[in-house]
Amino acid sequence: MTTQAKPEEAAAGGGSSTAFLSVRDLSVRFSTEDGVVRAVDNLSFDVEPGTTLGIVGESGSGKSVTNLAILGLHNPEKTDITGSIKLAGQELVGASTKELEKLRGKTMSMIFQDPLTALSPFHTIGKQIGETFRKHTGASKKEARDRAIEMLTKVGIPQPNVRVDDYPHQFSGGMRQRAMIAMSLVCNPKLVIADEPTTALDVTVQAQILDLLKDLQQEMGTAIILITHDLGVVANTAQKIMVMYAGRAVERGTVREVLKTPQHPYTWGLLSSMPNLSGPVDVPLRPVRGTPPSLINLPSGCPFNPRCDFREKVVGGGCTSERPALLPEAGHATACHLTAAQKQDIFIDQIQPRLG
Amino acid sequence: MLRFLVRRSLGALVILLIISMVTFALFFAIPADPARLYCGKVCSPENLVLIKHSMGLDQSVPMQYWNWLSGIFVGHTYPGGDVPHCDAPCFGWSFVKKDMVLDTLMDRFPTTLSLTVGSAVVFLIFGIGTGMLAAHKQGKAADKIASAASLVATSMQIYVAGPLALWALVYSTDLLDLPTYVPITEDPIGWFTGLLVPWIVLSLIWTANYTRMTRSSMVEQLTEDYVRTARAKGMSGTSVFMRYAWRGAMGTIVTVFGIDLGVLLGGAIITESTFGLHGLGELAIRSFIDSDLSMLVGVTMVAATFIVIFNIVVDAVYALIDPRIRLA
Amino acid sequence: MNARKSRRLAAAIMVAGALTVTTACSSGHSNGDGAASGASKEPVKAASISVGTAEDSKGPAAAEPNAKKGGTVNMIDRDDFSHLDPAQIYLNYNSEVSLLLTRQLTGYKYLPDGTQKLVGDLATDTGTTTDGGKTWKFTLKDGVKWQDGTPITSADVKYSIERTFASFVKSGPTYVQTWLAGDKYREAYAGPYDGKSLDAVQAPDAKTVVFTFKDAHPDANFTLAMTGYGVVPKAQDTKDAYDKKPFSSGPYQIVEHVTDKSLDLVRNPNWDPATDPIRNAYPDKWHMEFGVQAQQSTERFMADNGADKLAFSFHNQVHPSFIDQVKADEKLKPRTLEGLSPYVDYYFINNTRIKDQKVREALIRAFPHQQTRQLQGGTSYGDYATTYMSPTVLGYEKSDVYDTLKKPQGDPEAAKKLLTEANAMGQTIVYAYNNTPLQQKVTEAIRVALEAAGFKFVPKPLDAKTYYDAIGLVNNEYDLYWGGWGADWPTGYTSLQPVWDGRAIADGASNYAHLNDPEVNSAIDAAVKIADPVEQGKAWAALDKKLQQKAVSIPDVYQRSLSLYGSGLGGVKYDTLFGLQSPLNIYVK
Repeated sequence: MTTQAKPEEAAAGGGSSTAFLSVRDLSVRFSTEDGVVRAVDNLSFDVEPGTTLGIVGESGSGKSVTNLAILGLHNPEKTDITGSIKLAGQELVGASTKELEKLRGKTMSMIFQDPLTALSPFHTIGKQIGETFRKHTGASKKEARDRAIEMLTKVGIPQPNVRVDDYPHQFSGGMRQRAMIAMSLVCNPKLVIADEPTTALDVTVQAQILDLLKDLQQEMGTAIILITHDLGVVANTAQKIMVMYAGRAVERGTVREVLKTPQHPYTWGLLSSMPNLSGPVDVPLRPVRGTPPSLINLPSGCPFNPRCDFREKVVGGGCTSERPALLPEAGHATACHLTAAQKQDIFIDQIQPRLG
Repeated sequence: MLRFLVRRSLGALVILLIISMVTFALFFAIPADPARLYCGKVCSPENLVLIKHSMGLDQSVPMQYWNWLSGIFVGHTYPGGDVPHCDAPCFGWSFVKKDMVLDTLMDRFPTTLSLTVGSAVVFLIFGIGTGMLAAHKQGKAADKIASAASLVATSMQIYVAGPLALWALVYSTDLLDLPTYVPITEDPIGWFTGLLVPWIVLSLIWTANYTRMTRSSMVEQLTEDYVRTARAKGMSGTSVFMRYAWRGAMGTIVTVFGIDLGVLLGGAIITESTFGLHGLGELAIRSFIDSDLSMLVGVTMVAATFIVIFNIVVDAVYALIDPRIRLA
Repeated sequence: MNARKSRRLAAAIMVAGALTVTTACSSGHSNGDGAASGASKEPVKAASISVGTAEDSKGPAAAEPNAKKGGTVNMIDRDDFSHLDPAQIYLNYNSEVSLLLTRQLTGYKYLPDGTQKLVGDLATDTGTTTDGGKTWKFTLKDGVKWQDGTPITSADVKYSIERTFASFVKSGPTYVQTWLAGDKYREAYAGPYDGKSLDAVQAPDAKTVVFTFKDAHPDANFTLAMTGYGVVPKAQDTKDAYDKKPFSSGPYQIVEHVTDKSLDLVRNPNWDPATDPIRNAYPDKWHMEFGVQAQQSTERFMADNGADKLAFSFHNQVHPSFIDQVKADEKLKPRTLEGLSPYVDYYFINNTRIKDQKVREALIRAFPHQQTRQLQGGTSYGDYATTYMSPTVLGYEKSDVYDTLKKPQGDPEAAKKLLTEANAMGQTIVYAYNNTPLQQKVTEAIRVALEAAGFKFVPKPLDAKTYYDAIGLVNNEYDLYWGGWGADWPTGYTSLQPVWDGRAIADGASNYAHLNDPEVNSAIDAAVKIADPVEQGKAWAALDKKLQQKAVSIPDVYQRSLSLYGSGLGGVKYDTLFGLQSPLNIYVK
């Protein structure tokens, strides 16, 4: 198993050259009237071709901001982005709008959460798909339309040559998301960022969409970043997980590592708040208590400390004074002052019974 | 679409019918008795009766309404024979203007139409242009200047800006012609120069309105998810701006413009009075002062008809812009 | 006087003192409109109207010095003419334009000294009567024609009078009709349209017209000078529709009349100046434009640009906000017209409610003329009135029974004394007024003055549109209310009879004070019968004085007028009859 574990560790941690996307020390700050919002703070991660990275966290944890930063969709006047984002070796931080426009939709693309609002109500599905294709390949209208039909077929839309001329409102929710996926994959991008792609859909459709994504990934070898607050979705789709809290990564590892032996109190909280079909019915769900912190005035020390049930266990009150680093550098890592032994004990004694 | 138009047109007829009834009822609630006003100083009761009879005012209000309504289809002959027969479509005879109401309306309409269309062309082009520019340069100097200027212009009223412009452009400098209406068929240049000052003033104020409206709906559209999607697809700034954001903002602008156009075509009372133009608005206020009932009903119906028609047009156009709206 | 009434109504609706003018310097009038000269202290003394002879009635009209023919004159005004059918014309404004289009039996011509003289217009002279005014005979001149060249005959005149009886004629004067056929004249005769003829007017031959009145009316020749008795040809009569485009007997005919927009006149080729002692008709064309507010016309006249150089205005006066500026500007002086209008403002006392003369005198003495005039435009609004007749009326005599000129601000002490004598301290006065912002202020000034004099003041606001209807009711419940009045022709008859004849009291009639004094009634009857105009004038002046002594109401102000015209025009005169600019002598310089 070590041979298998090795590349995973390398990818998740250090700066492997095999990573298709490599983010280092990324910080995103917005200036607002109330002050500077530190939406993403010193974040590093990698994504390799053909794999899926799940980014998990509550709203406001910086998941979406990170990915918009990768695509360069923030308003440059109000946003301060530092660090490095390398896509196939090309530095995206500070790249010109023109360069980014060339990459968007072609090399990297995005699937948005709510396909109803994310698709233009004024243009047909075919147009919206074909438009991307034409922009990046210079294809004719006819070619673009054929390509759109091809893509719709690929994502499983029945009667694609008819539906290609429909408007988004004529599609059902799941169909819309399929169309959205078709649109993002029309140029065979190397990286697809899927931002809560199934949140707006009902459960049966969710599974179909996720299966579709997986199938297409296998077929095209695409790297996927799957943003979600739903650990269940990640469990079935991703190879690696990064848990984000207040703009930082608090836990990182393979799906197995993070879901089976989570080590951060926040991850525990997330897992406890998730229903488990295989678990006992009478175990109550426990949402993480408290609310996410303001990104303008972060709590001192560990940003999670006001909501953490275990900060008393840390000797010397480090939780409120010192910010924990994400350690170790590679492999399954957490940002928490609890000792490795404490984490293991608490998980086994208190958390695991709850998860069932 | 055809079904929509037929259905809405029938609905519009019903609405107009109701409006005409309400208008009739309202005007008869006004205390001033038009017959009494015409009767003059030495008004004997006998004379008043005669006058009431010749004006048809001695009949019950429902009967007068019926006369009015049927006149539209079959014409109307006034009792007494002092007044020419009013051929269908007959909207009545104005005892004040000594003319057929319909003829007067037809005579006044080109003025209002020219005033409206001329300024609409200007304020649409400049209003939308400036608004888009401001939205594009959101937060920058150009935006701030445009927003401030349009705020100032919007808060100006025609009865302030009008006389001011007349004084500055006409009276004291003789730069431009006095506002007057010459039919375009008679003298296109005279038509243009005669309406230039009203167009300038009206456009200025309306441009400001449309600048603000365009800017705010463009800014709103630019935050829409699908605009973000378009950018995420790699669409260039211009095409995102025009093909997506503008497409979305257009609906709002078309709607407001349609309603504005309907109202303007019904006659801009203050504008026309300020510039001494003789359009439907001036006719309306004049008829009110003169208690010219038949004319008042006529003008009201014209204004109501335009508003109703443009509401239908707006709905139809909106459906063309926004495929989500289905006409049935 | 419907004329006055509609004007006032319109003015009230616009909430603007339309008739506001100033009187600062006695030489303020410019173009020899001497009749209306004078500052507030010394109103016009001599009668400005005289009666002319057959010689005076011959054409052409006295030429204006330096005048020349040709050109187009522009006229700008707020409103279109509400009537052009002579039978419907009562309003001064309509009358003024009617002079260009329509002729009457008689008319007024300007004399070099600025006064006016009654002369024959279509008639060879001002008419003859042999029985003190009961029967009047007029002979038509040779060469008078309609615009199509057919001669104007006595039958045309007869027809024109007959049609004033028809039911569609709603707004013209009714003096002649009543004199011919009685108060209920429409029942006696319904007009010529059913083929019936009116016997009281006879046309024995093509040139002679004879009127037979039921009573003597020695000033009927003045009455027939009213534009309301202009001629209309039977062949062209379109009844109600005639009002828009009358057929010309005067020097100009209508090319186009677009209601409320414009009226264009060109020369009537069949009008012969040799037959017309009144009209000079210098311009070739007139272009009249409506919808120009007083503020705009004032600005335009002041700027004097382009076509406005050749413009004048019948009715638009200098807007109140420009009066000081206009009066101070020496350059404007040569083209400024100023004068008294024929209108007098009264505060009518309801004589059926205030029967005690001492109380009425107290009201007159207490009344704050100075304050109310100040609110309405100051000296430009008019001169303090002390008589019921205007100084513009034939026979006017100055008098000041209650020392109004000495104490225009009101004399509360004298009023208190009168009230005490009458044992009426604390007498309630219900004051009805037009509910406009300006009149609210005026009412407040009156309240202060009357309360200071010991009255109990009860204000009663009325809707502007129905104001006259409300105060016109015989059984109205008000004690004091404003009303304006102007003579239809400048004799005492129309100044005094309609307002003070007790037999004329009726709902909507103009005896707003409800005065029914036998002494006054018989004085009216006596004055009417005096054939000599000057003697008659004296009788009216005596009646005026009697009314003052009886304290029947409160004369307030003789209204003044101030107007401008373009620098390119000459011969623009102030018409004292109507208080407007006269078109008769205007020429393009």
